Amino acid sequence: MVRLNTAWALFQGLLLEAVPFLLIGVLIASLARWLSPGGAWLRRLPAHPIGGPLSGAALGFALPACECGNVPVARRLLVGGAPVGTALGFLFAAPVLNPIVIASTWAAFPDQPWLLLARPLGAVLVALALTLLLRLLPETELLRADLLEERQLNQPLAAVSLLERRSGVIGLPEQAPPLRPAPERTRWPEVLQHGSREFLSLALLLVAGCAIAALVQTLLPRQWLLAVGGAPTLSVLALMLLSLVLSVCSSVDAFLALGFAAQITPGALLAFLLLGPVIDIKLVGLLGLLFRPRGLLLTTVGAALVVLLIGQWINLWRL
Amino acid sequence: MNNPSLLRSVALALWALVLLRSSVDGRLDLLLRASFHPLVGGAGLLLLGLALLQALVGLTPRQALPTGTARPQAAGRDRVMTLSTAALAILLLQPPNPSFADLASQRPNDDTASESLSFVLPPAQRSLTDWVRLLRSQPDPLLFKGDPVRISGFVLPVADGPPQLARLLVRCCLADATPVGLPVRWPANRPLPKADQWLAIEGRMAVQGEQVVVVPDRIRSIARPARPLEP
Repeated sequence: MVRLNTAWALFQGLLLEAVPFLLIGVLIASLARWLSPGGAWLRRLPAHPIGGPLSGAALGFALPACECGNVPVARRLLVGGAPVGTALGFLFAAPVLNPIVIASTWAAFPDQPWLLLARPLGAVLVALALTLLLRLLPETELLRADLLEERQLNQPLAAVSLLERRSGVIGLPEQAPPLRPAPERTRWPEVLQHGSREFLSLALLLVAGCAIAALVQTLLPRQWLLAVGGAPTLSVLALMLLSLVLSVCSSVDAFLALGFAAQITPGALLAFLLLGPVIDIKLVGLLGLLFRPRGLLLTTVGAALVVLLIGQWINLWRL
Repeated sequence: MNNPSLLRSVALALWALVLLRSSVDGRLDLLLRASFHPLVGGAGLLLLGLALLQALVGLTPRQALPTGTARPQAAGRDRVMTLSTAALAILLLQPPNPSFADLASQRPNDDTASESLSFVLPPAQRSLTDWVRLLRSQPDPLLFKGDPVRISGFVLPVADGPPQLARLLVRCCLADATPVGLPVRWPANRPLPKADQWLAIEGRMAVQGEQVVVVPDRIRSIARPARPLEP
């Protein structure tokens, strides 16, 4: 019972800390929807395999939200017709490449300037690698069906093949969404309805993620993960696992890492700071709103491999 | 309630209530670092505003809103929202009551150097955390021998010795809390205190082996403070 009470408090702590950031993300996405309903500027973002993710990552500087807030914004980018690579670059790198996170990393580790450079660079590297990896999957296998449907509505007809169109083609179900007229400013009640629905559905997933993260944290003593702190490879793996389990927001994870930085290798420290913003238990549900299971699996495995490699390189360099 | 807009409005209002109530009933002091409190309160107010707007939209005579609510998915979404409101009701009914000792038993001790120690207070004004940080920055125990001590904290059982008096340091929320503790030479004529019990101790610093230990003159049982977490 004592442990359950502790898990309940952990759950509430995680949830109450994350909800404001989620709300900020939904508000940014709704604002973008209101100001640019057709998302014309989104389609002008570069689609280059490298330039796309890089420009997406750079968007993080303009939209300072942590990983929970980034999901609705990335969804908005995808729905609005932004190139997949750009949206993914934003999704994976922006939680680190934003002023708040960089400032908090600097505040937590003022005596380790290498980290201030390595964390953003590592985040870009992870985002690039993941984007290249996920682009191996066709959009229809990567993105959820409902997201894809909304996305195709916002793309010029020429960009969508006849087989992919759900409207204007004889023989398809009647509930196929109608073609939208030329973009005009969306009315605020519509934006409000959409934003409210989005917030509530994301909040529900957040509740599930926080609940699992709190339970795992309560049942898994943290000493087990930190016990291998000095071993080069094991420490990286252990801290990656810890970042998955802890599920704290990227804007504060540097302060958290400060608490055990002295017990672990530098590579493990960087791995902790890189993997958490891309994937953790709390995020799985939210990312499920964007990706099909295969995309989610590929994201998790890909991110883990790249972060492990980066951690190893850092240990080779710093140890 | 057949009006999806009103249903959403209720759900949003409940979320707002969770955040606002947490901001005023002291729950945040138990769960989050103080710098995050305004964020939670602000989000609550914002959600309340959204809930009111949403209610306004729901009560306005229906115009042709192309919101897609006529789609079959809408029913499913409304069910999801009802579920979320149920989850919120549970949240509202069940305030957290964590065991700090249980939480701390699963965490390694905080290893932070003395980065937060900007100046040194007179000994009797130092909190438990101030003492721990000072001892880290100046580890010679003889420097502090005989200093007066007035500290409070919870009783944290330690695997290889008598329980310590401890505090939890939090950088963001309870999920990242790490304990810091001071060894105490508990009176031999009284039973050892129970885990999680909050105590205020007045006494002196002494040296035992190579470390300092608090020798209590007076031990009082106190309620958990309103702000039990330390930055």
